[in-house]
Amino acid sequence: MRQPSVIARRVAAASVSLVVAAGAAACGPEDSDAKGSGGDSAPHKGGTLTVLNSEPQTDFDPARLYTSGGGNVPSLVFRTLTTRNRENGAAGAEVVPDLATDTGRANKDATVWTYTLKKGLTYEDGTPITSADVKYGIERSFAPELSGGAPYLRDWLVGAADYQGPYKDKKGLSAIETPDARTIVFHLNKPEGEFPYLATQTQFTPVPKSKDTGTKYESHPISSGPYKVVKNENDGEHVVLERNTHWSPATDAERKAYPDTIDVRSGLDSSVINQRLSASQGADAAAVTTDTNLGPAELAKVTGDKELAARVGTGRFGYTNYIAFNPTVKPFDNPKVRQAISYAIDRSSVVNAAGGSALAEPATTFLPNQKSFGYTPYDPFPAGKSGNPAKAEELLKQAGFKNGLTITLTHSNDKNFETSPEIATALQDALKKAGITVKLQGLEDNDYRDKIHSVKTEPGFFLAHWGADWPSGGPFLAPIFDGRQIVKDGANFNTGLLNDKSVNGEIDAINKLTDLDAAAKRWGALDQKIGEKALVVPLFHPVYKRLVGSDVKNVVISDWTGVLDISQVSVK
Amino acid sequence: MSEALVAVETAGTDTSVPAVSGARQFWRRLRAQRAALVAAVVVALLVLVALAAPLLTALEGQDPTTYHPSLIDSARGGVPIGSLGGIGADHWLGVEPQTGRDMFARLVYGARVSLGVSLGATLAQVVIGVAMGVAAGLGNRWVDLVLSRITDIFISMPLMIMSLALLAIVPSGFPRPVLVALIISLVSGWSTTAKMVRAQTLALKNLDYVSASRLSGWSTWRTAVRELLPGLAAPVITYAALLVPANISAEAALSFLGVGVKPPTPSWGQMLTSADVWYQAAPQYLLLPALALFLTVFAMTVLGDGVRVALDPRAASRLRIGTGRKREARAGTAVPKPGPAATEATQDATQDVVPDATQDATQDLVPDAVPDTASDAVPGAASKKEERA
Amino acid sequence: MNGFTGFVLRRLIGALVTLFVLSVIIYVVFYVTPGNVAQITCGPRCSPAQVHQVAQQLHLDDPLYVRYWHFLQGLLAGQDFSTGTSVEHCPAPCLGQSYQSDRQVTDIILTKLPVSLSLVLGAMVIWLLLGVGTGVLSAWRRGRLSERVLTAVTLAGVATPVFVIGLILMIVVCGELQLLPFPQYVNFTDDPEQWAWNLLLPWLSLALIEAANFARLTRASMLETLAEDHIRTFRAYGVSERAVIARHALRGATASVIALNAVTFGSAVGGAVLTETLFGLPGIGQELVHAVKVVDLPVVVGMVLVTGFFVVLANAVADVLYAVADRRVVLA
Repeated sequence: MRQPSVIARRVAAASVSLVVAAGAAACGPEDSDAKGSGGDSAPHKGGTLTVLNSEPQTDFDPARLYTSGGGNVPSLVFRTLTTRNRENGAAGAEVVPDLATDTGRANKDATVWTYTLKKGLTYEDGTPITSADVKYGIERSFAPELSGGAPYLRDWLVGAADYQGPYKDKKGLSAIETPDARTIVFHLNKPEGEFPYLATQTQFTPVPKSKDTGTKYESHPISSGPYKVVKNENDGEHVVLERNTHWSPATDAERKAYPDTIDVRSGLDSSVINQRLSASQGADAAAVTTDTNLGPAELAKVTGDKELAARVGTGRFGYTNYIAFNPTVKPFDNPKVRQAISYAIDRSSVVNAAGGSALAEPATTFLPNQKSFGYTPYDPFPAGKSGNPAKAEELLKQAGFKNGLTITLTHSNDKNFETSPEIATALQDALKKAGITVKLQGLEDNDYRDKIHSVKTEPGFFLAHWGADWPSGGPFLAPIFDGRQIVKDGANFNTGLLNDKSVNGEIDAINKLTDLDAAAKRWGALDQKIGEKALVVPLFHPVYKRLVGSDVKNVVISDWTGVLDISQVSVK
Repeated sequence: MSEALVAVETAGTDTSVPAVSGARQFWRRLRAQRAALVAAVVVALLVLVALAAPLLTALEGQDPTTYHPSLIDSARGGVPIGSLGGIGADHWLGVEPQTGRDMFARLVYGARVSLGVSLGATLAQVVIGVAMGVAAGLGNRWVDLVLSRITDIFISMPLMIMSLALLAIVPSGFPRPVLVALIISLVSGWSTTAKMVRAQTLALKNLDYVSASRLSGWSTWRTAVRELLPGLAAPVITYAALLVPANISAEAALSFLGVGVKPPTPSWGQMLTSADVWYQAAPQYLLLPALALFLTVFAMTVLGDGVRVALDPRAASRLRIGTGRKREARAGTAVPKPGPAATEATQDATQDVVPDATQDATQDLVPDAVPDTASDAVPGAASKKEERA
Repeated sequence: MNGFTGFVLRRLIGALVTLFVLSVIIYVVFYVTPGNVAQITCGPRCSPAQVHQVAQQLHLDDPLYVRYWHFLQGLLAGQDFSTGTSVEHCPAPCLGQSYQSDRQVTDIILTKLPVSLSLVLGAMVIWLLLGVGTGVLSAWRRGRLSERVLTAVTLAGVATPVFVIGLILMIVVCGELQLLPFPQYVNFTDDPEQWAWNLLLPWLSLALIEAANFARLTRASMLETLAEDHIRTFRAYGVSERAVIARHALRGATASVIALNAVTFGSAVGGAVLTETLFGLPGIGQELVHAVKVVDLPVVVGMVLVTGFFVVLANAVADVLYAVADRRVVLA
């Protein structure tokens, strides 16, 4: 996940910006789902939707954005080959066609994927969108000048590992073919049944080569979506989008684009954003946020107020916060020690530290608790609500620690949700009951990230988190548990350093499946198998609650993003 | 740095009276000011509370780190159950939202960190500032130039930014409160102290008894320790009293930026930082540390004023809008501005003024120039003025 | 005047040396600070090969002194940067280009500086009114209840961090009473009236913090003046207390207040980090904190030089004004 650094101070508020970077997401009123999509009265067309954000919309370049499903604000400007289904709940976790006529046609072993563009697609200046532009858009995402996107294209496309983008390498990527102006063919180096999910990311947006201005493209990217950029001040601090008259709704079944103008204001303090949304004065009545959740304090206030409570939207994004073990560090090489800690965990106090039961759900599985991930409930080391210290002590005795155990928990000093000192402190307090003395090692955030993502310096016991690049088990399990993804000389995410032939084999087998439902079931089973190894202790899955202004209607929250979809919103 | 700023920042902190002269009188004069006395008692109580934190919490039967999940409403973000944040016989000041930790225990333990960090930082600022200032004042032209330039560089550094950077460099094993105190003192405060001490040193250097000791072959070091430091004590102590509140605020600001003292260690700044969003849902969570901080800063400031008056009752008496200081200022070696009276109490001293004392700035620094008030400086000399004040 | 020219010249050389050393210190500090710049710029999931490409792109593999030399070159002679499709020239004095956003640092500073200046200038008016006003009142009514209350209020401003004062002000004034809009920066050139309304709360919050210093100083200076002989003479001649305060005591405090004001102003331009963060004002302080967190060295160095420049400048100005104002006092 791309993680823009956050001057995060509110415990809960910052989490999403870490996940769906570049403001991929937002959310709205629970009860307005019915109001909005019910269709009693047609949503109002026109008006200005204000977006109040904490993180600026930096890197507004399709090559540089790291999004889940194409992002929220970016998706208003960038159309991609496929996109996420803009529906509430589980239906919203499905992938649907966007620029392409379908979600992709695979060859037998899912190593070649072919897409055909719809007819009548044009940019904001009326020029037609061609498959060559899609290819060029992908190629430029390889340029070191435009780094930032997800790693999958580089990993999957044939011969792409060392490609340096079209500026340095004019030949282009031979793995992508464009036999005609509407057809584009991708050649992958291994079977990838989930390629349609990847094609939702902004790198699959067409970029006309003649309009490419390199690093300056972000100030005015050429729109293929319902809105075009008319203002982008100070690297995304203030972005104004207006209707793109060349966008044809007939070719776009997903984006509703009710408001005429979208005004994105960023750099705001998260508590101020929530104050403004709850006050809903003036233009703020037609405001939403795409990166700021309600924090516990604000939740306490909102739940006591019916009018406000009705304006809160709740969603779940595929995300897991966990404790990671490094089994090469003593005493965590002993599975009994890892199991003992798993038993001793007091999830209710961790949940409280994360904002309480309304903002976090205790987790015993690594996969998020959603259908599209193939969620299979299991709990290999049942700790109950608040830990099983007796069982933990017993296991520790077996492991040879009769007089208790002293360990060091590494965490980030940044006050953001997942790895914050608050969570670490709650764990420290809870493990005391099982005779485990926890010393806290708080590191400055950059230091923390360098250390936990380097095989050489990885601590033995630390807080970590993982979010979904798309709602499936693949991008959730493979980077963390696939032995071939251990990176020795760079950023490593396989923190448990697991290299298990049967796990690797099962990952390969599932990747061959193009039936995503069948794949989901097997991801769930694989998750359980890995979970029994006690390489991680899942802690909780966050729940996103966000306020919307009082004039905001048509709030749709999918399980893909967990937050309000800005392309569906209408304002009075 | 601006010589003018030194004058301004240290307004009223300089004194020509060697502090050795009258510890007894100092106390007498301090006692004579009711406000300062009350402030001193408050400060003493705060320090006592901080020192006795374990005892106090034992009395309450709580500690600052134990979680009480049953006392908070998890579904409502973890707001304390019960009125006024769960205040009761068990938890005298209620509990903290989200964790249920005891507020009283956190507040008194927080006093340890907040007071410890600010007093520690002040001490470091004074030590560094005096060392640099005296060295610059006594050293030759080049020593003075280099040290003054170093001081200027530190003054131009943005505190927050340097703190963020420095805190990231130091290994995480280093005790955090000590580190925070060190960084606050290193990046701010000492430089003003150094400037003030340098100016004082330059002035004192020319005094008869200091010059005499230098001429009689004493080493610079010996001169500094034996003759200068006592003369510097009064202005430095007074200025230090002003640094303490500033350091408390700096600790709070660092906490806000996420680089302050680390949990589970409580500090007032840290409590305020996490509490401000709770202002509506759990007001006492914000109000308690805010009140504690206010009380401390208020008491420290009043005490600082009192100390200033007690150390330098002649502050109001010295008429020195003379030409001497201006000449000095232009030459870049300004003597700090004369001390203004801090309270009415010293008004009476005005009658002791000798107009001639304004002729030259350095003259003011010669105790004998003001015969009447100079008697204060003589140990054991009875002072009528204190009785009047 | 020879003395004056010499003073200015000395200060100028001193300022340049200070800023030069400051830039070296920042380079060294950020060189040893943890955080893999190339990885941060590239994204956490970039492969080692990609990270290496980015490092080359940004010249991060060069030794420290080479990077610093490039920085100096850019400052004196300008620099060229590749956008991928074309080459962009950054004219001298070029402070380089942000690692994160590819914007020129001078451009970033030019967009942030007006915000910080707007904030500090407005706040200055308020802290002067509030601080000096409180100081005068408390010197005048010394010892009475009204003085004690005023002093307590200004001290409360010092003792309460801006993030608490500001947030409460916002909740009450904007949220509950709805007297003002929630602050959102508007360019002065776009709409001066909205600029002022939107900045009112930030001004007030920042001013409350500084006001107590001015109150303390004003009060002290005035009491000092009031204790002087000629004032006693005026009183003896029957000049009213009000006139004494207004004509003489206040004037006596002017020099110190001007000096403190210049210095406070200088350090607040880059130092109002918390106020800018809380109110979402895109100023220098907020940008600096962000740049430090992502180890964006060119931005940090550029901004620290600018804020350092303001501090140095303010101190020099304070000295000059102090000397000038002081003479007037004497002449009066």
